[in-house]
Amino acid sequence: MKKILVGGFLALSTLAAHAEYEQVNLIVFGMDCAPCAHAIHVSMKGIQGVNTVDVDLNTGLVSIKLTPGNSAAMHQFNEAVEKNGFTHKDANVVVRGQLSGSAQAPFLDVTGTKDRYALTPLGAGTDISELLGKTVVIEGVLPQSGKGKVADTLRYKSVAEAK
Amino acid sequence: MKYLLVLACAVLVTSTAFAADHGPVFGYATPVNSERELSFDTGIFGRYGSQGTQLSTGSGFAYGVTPHITVNAFLPASFGSGNLPESRIISGTEWSAGASWRFLHSVTSVGKRIESTASLGLVVPGPQQESGVLGSLHRASGVAGTLATGLASRSQYFWVGGGYTRFAEESHDRRPDTLSWSAVYGYRPPRLRRGYAQWDYRGFAELTGEHTGAVLSNGLVLPNSSSTTVWLGPSVLAIYKNIAIEGGVQGPLFRDVSESVYGRERVRFAINLSYLKYSAHSSH
Repeated sequence: MKKILVGGFLALSTLAAHAEYEQVNLIVFGMDCAPCAHAIHVSMKGIQGVNTVDVDLNTGLVSIKLTPGNSAAMHQFNEAVEKNGFTHKDANVVVRGQLSGSAQAPFLDVTGTKDRYALTPLGAGTDISELLGKTVVIEGVLPQSGKGKVADTLRYKSVAEAK
Repeated sequence: MKYLLVLACAVLVTSTAFAADHGPVFGYATPVNSERELSFDTGIFGRYGSQGTQLSTGSGFAYGVTPHITVNAFLPASFGSGNLPESRIISGTEWSAGASWRFLHSVTSVGKRIESTASLGLVVPGPQQESGVLGSLHRASGVAGTLATGLASRSQYFWVGGGYTRFAEESHDRRPDTLSWSAVYGYRPPRLRRGYAQWDYRGFAELTGEHTGAVLSNGLVLPNSSSTTVWLGPSVLAIYKNIAIEGGVQGPLFRDVSESVYGRERVRFAINLSYLKYSAHSSH
């Protein structure tokens, strides 16, 4: 029983340190009809770790919620859009990751994926130096990237230490 | 009655399949399949004239190789004969296989695309008209090319396109080269611009035209065998997620056709069912 408890604790610790996307709200251009939205829905649901997908044809907003512990990478969401012949624009994301770098040049490493973003504040600068080296939850905007590419900068709205 | 039974069987057999492009039912349009999307279309196409009614049913399969290149095949079946001119707008007498390339794709805003698509295919003789000028010809394969360009949006659609089919000669016979063109306007009313999990409707006004050249029979050009027609009519498309049903009817606006050779074609109609199978495959 003791071993099980220790094992469970270790597993939870690993999960807590595992960075991941929690929510991705992606603007998609070019969807005019129901099959377009259905294609995006099917493609997004095919990404491991995606829990729910909502598509609003009139705003182009694709809202994706992910399950805890997922290892989905941002390029998978972009590719799901591209393979259906559409264009992805800005993405609002809620992502969990490890802060690294310095206070002047912070980075977010999404462990479990190869995603790494330079962080810049979206509004007035927020001091995140105290959070360096810690696991944080960030809400921010990934600007539009070219086809086959992922933005390298995350403009954050809020940063909070992960619980 | 025999025709109705055969037609019903054909439709039942193929009704589990789906249609490739969810655009107009008569005219040319630009949509191609998504990458790894398999689509199936089946439909009934009719041409009613003074010398009878020609019904054809066919099944089309298409597969998206990339987001902008789709390969396709069409398997025809034809019933009856109206002794009508060659037509590539309403086809039902040729097997065909080819590829479509969306070479221009400009996504300008939410729901809006401007795009152009070219297609090239091989056309192989299938069921032959039971009578009439084209019913007695030795037939050979041909090559068909089309080009379409236009705009798709949440509210309006507009496409123009054209196609040319050239047939080879067989035993001193040759079917007429066919030049086809179309202009399509589509509209989706505001209250029908709904969520994707609801039925999606839109209406089209479809203008199509065809010019067929002279028929070559036993090495001789048949007099008055060329034709030019222009057709106009409405069509309605209803889609639920990945299933679409569409119907349309057209009447003649202009006819330059020898009635002694072909009779008088009065109405064209089409009903099409489509199924789109999207791939959930994701890269890692």
